[in-house]
Amino acid sequence: EDLRVDGRGCEDYRCVEVETDVVSNTSGSARVKLGHTDILVGVKAEMGTPKLEKPNEGYLEFFVDCSASATPEFEGRGGDDLGTEIANTLYRIFNKSSVDLESLCISPREHCWALYVDVLLLECGGNLFDAISIAVKAALFNTRIPRVRVLEDEEGSKDIELSDDPYDCIQLSVENVPCIVTLCKIGYRHVVDATLQEEACSLASLLVSVTSKGVVTCMRKVGKGSLDPESIFEMLETGKRVGKVLHASLQSILHKEESLGPKRQKVGFLG
Amino acid sequence: MPGDHRRIRGPEESQPPQLYATGEGEAPAPRDPARLRPVYARAGLLSQAKGSAYLEAGGTKVLCAVSGPRPAEGGERGGGPAGAGGEAPAALRGRLLCDFRRAPFSGRRRRAPPSGGEERELALALQEALEPAVRLGRYPRAQLEVSALLLEDGGSALAAALTAAALALADAGVEMYDLVVGCGLSRAPAPAPTWLLDPTLLEEERAAAGLTVALMPVLNQVAGLLGSGEGGPTESWAEAVRLGLEGCQRLYPVLQQCLVRAARRRGAAAPL
Repeated sequence: EDLRVDGRGCEDYRCVEVETDVVSNTSGSARVKLGHTDILVGVKAEMGTPKLEKPNEGYLEFFVDCSASATPEFEGRGGDDLGTEIANTLYRIFNKSSVDLESLCISPREHCWALYVDVLLLECGGNLFDAISIAVKAALFNTRIPRVRVLEDEEGSKDIELSDDPYDCIQLSVENVPCIVTLCKIGYRHVVDATLQEEACSLASLLVSVTSKGVVTCMRKVGKGSLDPESIFEMLETGKRVGKVLHASLQSILHKEESLGPKRQKVGFLG
Repeated sequence: MPGDHRRIRGPEESQPPQLYATGEGEAPAPRDPARLRPVYARAGLLSQAKGSAYLEAGGTKVLCAVSGPRPAEGGERGGGPAGAGGEAPAALRGRLLCDFRRAPFSGRRRRAPPSGGEERELALALQEALEPAVRLGRYPRAQLEVSALLLEDGGSALAAALTAAALALADAGVEMYDLVVGCGLSRAPAPAPTWLLDPTLLEEERAAAGLTVALMPVLNQVAGLLGSGEGGPTESWAEAVRLGLEGCQRLYPVLQQCLVRAARRRGAAAPL
């Protein structure tokens, strides 16, 4: 009857708190709290050499760290496997049209911006993939890359100059950055945003990554069980619908937060 | 120098000559979108492995071996409620460890063996697709090791590895609910974005999106699904999944025959 243990419907998310610009040493950062799941993402922009096959583009590198404080299973090396799985999923959901990589190029074949996106799992309360993708999108929205100019000398040697004004930056457009929606199959129905208990009851889930326009960039089945072909088609439709709503609310929140400017109240941690 | 001393690596800055080649190269020939390449499958060929299978589909050659059940590493955990049919309680179920490796000469560029992320991801995809089919509850506290080796990548490598792994598990006599059949798809880039079944390497490289589907044909359940790229709207992905499932069903009779032949060979070779 569309009613879950905590009173939500099958397609409702828990209350999400998003805050950007929490860490001052990064080019961009965001913290997302989704129920008991707490994620912190920091983006650092550094100068590197473009990859050989794509000399006109910059690149993004993802790294996920499951800290031992998240759940006791992550003590020592336990969280490494989950961390690599999440990082590989993030590499998969970002494709050519998600972020404009050509704008990250400084001079072809020689210099480009490399964005190192580092995800830290502070607390694990179910539905990790969704929270991480929301946090990555918010952090990329918050990223400010300093403007550089390449000066040619008479001998032909190039020199890179950083502009003096610390606020002269380029911002990335996150219009096409996708968000992940995880649909867990429980019994004959599927639910969005499962808590830890609901995840334990579910044998199989479908992970769908949707952009704000409703374009699906990645699809993956997770879990030990199998899925019915018909339920896959239903889950795809639900994922697209829920994803669009998620994107719309995330965009409005991010724009609202940015418009508050430097005078806004910073909640920070343990707020 | 730190690193892998067992294998001789080329110099750090070596590149294949194709990087400097001018021109676009050949475009893939137009073909029927639902054609499957002829498949050669043979089970029971390695003498040292409990079960093994070799699969060739077009240019893709995969060899898979299964060993076990062996006692599992890792501490004993307490029992939970027992499953039906005399299976072990949930916490004592067996484990499936999958490993996916590419031979260094399998693709266009030489890849040094510990190539990290991609192989881990495909090994995880293998495990997630095979787990629904294997009755792990019948192997308490044991682990089954499945290792897939890709000898040559000619397109839809993961799908071929899935099928070979399922054949190898069946050949090893592991109790399974059903075979798992894998099928690869790719979407050609605009201006003619159609989904092509069982793409060749050339089609896969130029594709805007790729998808691998794993089906359990008799139960008609999707065991695995992995896809990414600019696939377009959900209707396009749904159509691709349907095409993939149909391809899996068409492949099933070939695999059945392969297992029957392997069983006959085993019966003939056994001393009377």
